[in-house]
Amino acid sequence: MISLTSPVRTRAHGWPAGAKLLGLCVASVVLFAAPYLAFQIAAALAVWVAYALPGWLFFWYGVRRIWPLWPFVVLLLIWHLFTAGVGEGAVIALRMVTAVALANLVTMITSLEAMMAVISRLLRPFARLGVNLRAIELAAAMVIRFTPVLADKGTALSLAWRARSRRRAGWRVIVPFMVLALDDADHVAEALRARGGIGLDNKI
Amino acid sequence: MPSQTVLLSVDAVDLRIDGRDVLQGISYVSDARRVAVLGRNGSGKTTLARVMAGLQPVTGGAVRIAGVDVAQDRRGALAAVGILFQNPDHQIIFPTVGEELSFGLKQMGLPKAEVAARVVQTLAQFGKTAWQDAAIHRLSQGQRQLVCLMAILAMAPKLIILDEPFAGLDIPTAMHLTRVLEATEAALVHITHDPRVIAGYDHALWIEGGRVEMQGPAAEVAAAFRQAMEQLGARDDLTHLSG
Amino acid sequence: MSTERNVAQIALFTALIAALGLIPQLTLAFGVPVTAQSLGIMLCGTVLGARRGGLAALLFVALVALGLPLLSGGRGGLGLFSPSSPTVGFLVGFPVSAFCTGLITERLRRLPTAPAAGIAAVIGGICVLYAFGIVGMSVALERSLGEAALLVTAFIPGDMIKAVLAGLITAALYRARPDSVWSRA
Repeated sequence: MISLTSPVRTRAHGWPAGAKLLGLCVASVVLFAAPYLAFQIAAALAVWVAYALPGWLFFWYGVRRIWPLWPFVVLLLIWHLFTAGVGEGAVIALRMVTAVALANLVTMITSLEAMMAVISRLLRPFARLGVNLRAIELAAAMVIRFTPVLADKGTALSLAWRARSRRRAGWRVIVPFMVLALDDADHVAEALRARGGIGLDNKI
Repeated sequence: MPSQTVLLSVDAVDLRIDGRDVLQGISYVSDARRVAVLGRNGSGKTTLARVMAGLQPVTGGAVRIAGVDVAQDRRGALAAVGILFQNPDHQIIFPTVGEELSFGLKQMGLPKAEVAARVVQTLAQFGKTAWQDAAIHRLSQGQRQLVCLMAILAMAPKLIILDEPFAGLDIPTAMHLTRVLEATEAALVHITHDPRVIAGYDHALWIEGGRVEMQGPAAEVAAAFRQAMEQLGARDDLTHLSG
Repeated sequence: MSTERNVAQIALFTALIAALGLIPQLTLAFGVPVTAQSLGIMLCGTVLGARRGGLAALLFVALVALGLPLLSGGRGGLGLFSPSSPTVGFLVGFPVSAFCTGLITERLRRLPTAPAAGIAAVIGGICVLYAFGIVGMSVALERSLGEAALLVTAFIPGDMIKAVLAGLITAALYRARPDSVWSRA
C-alpha cells in the first residue's frame, strides 16, 4: 500500500519531519491570527506557489487532494451572501482551503518512515508508563501489510457471493469477512511468537 | 570438543486440550539430517510440529533442540529452530521483504549493522538483492514462500521444521524450493501426509491418533505408511476418514 | 490472552476498517449504496469491546494522519486533521466513539447481543460521533452548532441503518466465533 507522500521528489522531502510539523503549526496559528482578506489572499497565493514549484504533476496532485472541499466553499459563500457579507465568507473559505492545503503539503513532502520516527520520539517518555512502543510499531506494520490482503479477500468474497446469488453482496458478507480477518490475526500472532514475540525484551 | 547434546530430543511429550489427548507419550531422539514425520490429517502431526517449534506448550514432557528447551527458552529457541508453514500469508508479518527478513534477526538481539548485513547476504545468496524493498503484496505465492524460507535461513537455525510447505505450489516452484532446502546446512524435519516428498530422507516417524505408530529408517516407514493408507483408502466406509 | 494475539487482533481490525473503505460500495437496505467503513468503526466497538476497539480506531486515525490513504476513497494525510477541516471532528471522534460503543455493548450484558450492540452503535457510533463531528464542523466553518448540526442530518438515516446492521453482524459473529467477540466475553 502506497502512502500519500508524493513520488515527485523535492528538496523538502529531506528536511526533518519534526521541523516541518512545527512549521505547519506555526503557519496555522498565523493564518488564524490574521482574518484580513488581503492577508489571506497573499497566504493562499504563497501556498499555490509552493505547490507549483516542484512541477505540474505535484500541483495537480495537490489540487485533487483539496478538491473535496468545494461544497463547503460554496456553502460558506452562499451563507455569507445572505448574512454578513461575502467578504467575511471569502476570508473563512480562503483560510480553510489554505490551511488544509498547507497540511496536505506537509504530508506530500514527508515520508511515512519519517512521520513514524517523529511519533516514536514523542512517545518514548511514555514507555515508562507502560506504553509498549514495540507493539505499536508492529501493529502499524501489520496494518500496512494486511490491508491489501483483506481488501482482496473481501473482493473474492463478494464475487463468491455473486456467483451464487442474483443480487450483489450486501451486509451479510461482512460476517465471513470479519471471520477471515480474525483468523488472519491468529495466524500472524503465531508467526510473531515463532520469531520471539513482542515481550522478548522483558523476558517472558 | 564435539558436543554431546543430541540435535532433536522429544521426551515423553503429552498434550491434552479440552479433555482430549492430542498427543500421547511421543518420544523420539535423532541426530539425522533429514527426518520425516508422516501422518494422516488429524493425526496430530501439525500439533507436533508446533510443539517441536516451542509454539505449543505441552502438558507433559519436553522438547530439546540442540540442548535448548524450546518452550522455556524462547530466545535460545530462535537460534536453534525455525518453522515453515504451508501458507506464506499466515507467516509474513511485514509489508516489505527487507523488513520481514530483518525482524527475526532483531528479535535475536543482533546489532543493527549486523542485521542489515545478514539481510543483504541472504538476499544475495538467492540472487534476490532487488527484493530488498519489494512489496510482499506484489509477489506470487511461490515467491512469498521463498521469502518465508529466506527469513528463516537468515537466522541460521540448527533445525528447520517444515509443515507441509509445498502443498498448493506448482511443480516447478516446489522443485525449486526443495532444491533450496536440500542445500541448507540445517537439519530438516519434514511433516507431511505424502510419502513421495520425503524420498531420500534418513529417518522417519509415523504418527497416528496422537501416538507414535512406527519409527525407523525413512524408506521402511514410508512403505509401511503408504500401504496402510492405501488400505484405508480402498474401503468404501467414510467414517474412518479423518476430520 | 497473549500480547501477540491482542496486538494482532487490533491491527487486523484496523486493516479491516481500511479494507472496507477500499472495496466497492456495498448496497445496504433499499438499494442505498454506502461505504461500509463507518460500519467498521461501529463494529470495532461492538466486537472488540471498549479498550481494544478504541485502540483499533485510534490506530486507524493515527495512520491516516501519518499519510496512509485508509479513509474510503483513498483519502488521508494531515489536511483532514487541520482545525479548518470540516471533517476533523469526526476523525478525532472515531476512537472515542468506538470506545463508548464498546463500553455500552459490554455493559448491556442482560440484553441479547443484537439489540445490545445496536443500541451501543446508536449511542456511541451516532450520538457521540456526531457530537464531535458537529463541534468540529462548527469550528471549521465558523457557524453555530445548530447550523452545523443541520448539515449533517442528511447522514443520520443511513447511519441508523448501519447501527442496526452492526447489531445483527455482531450477533452473527458471536454465533460463528464466540471467542472473538470480546465485548461479550
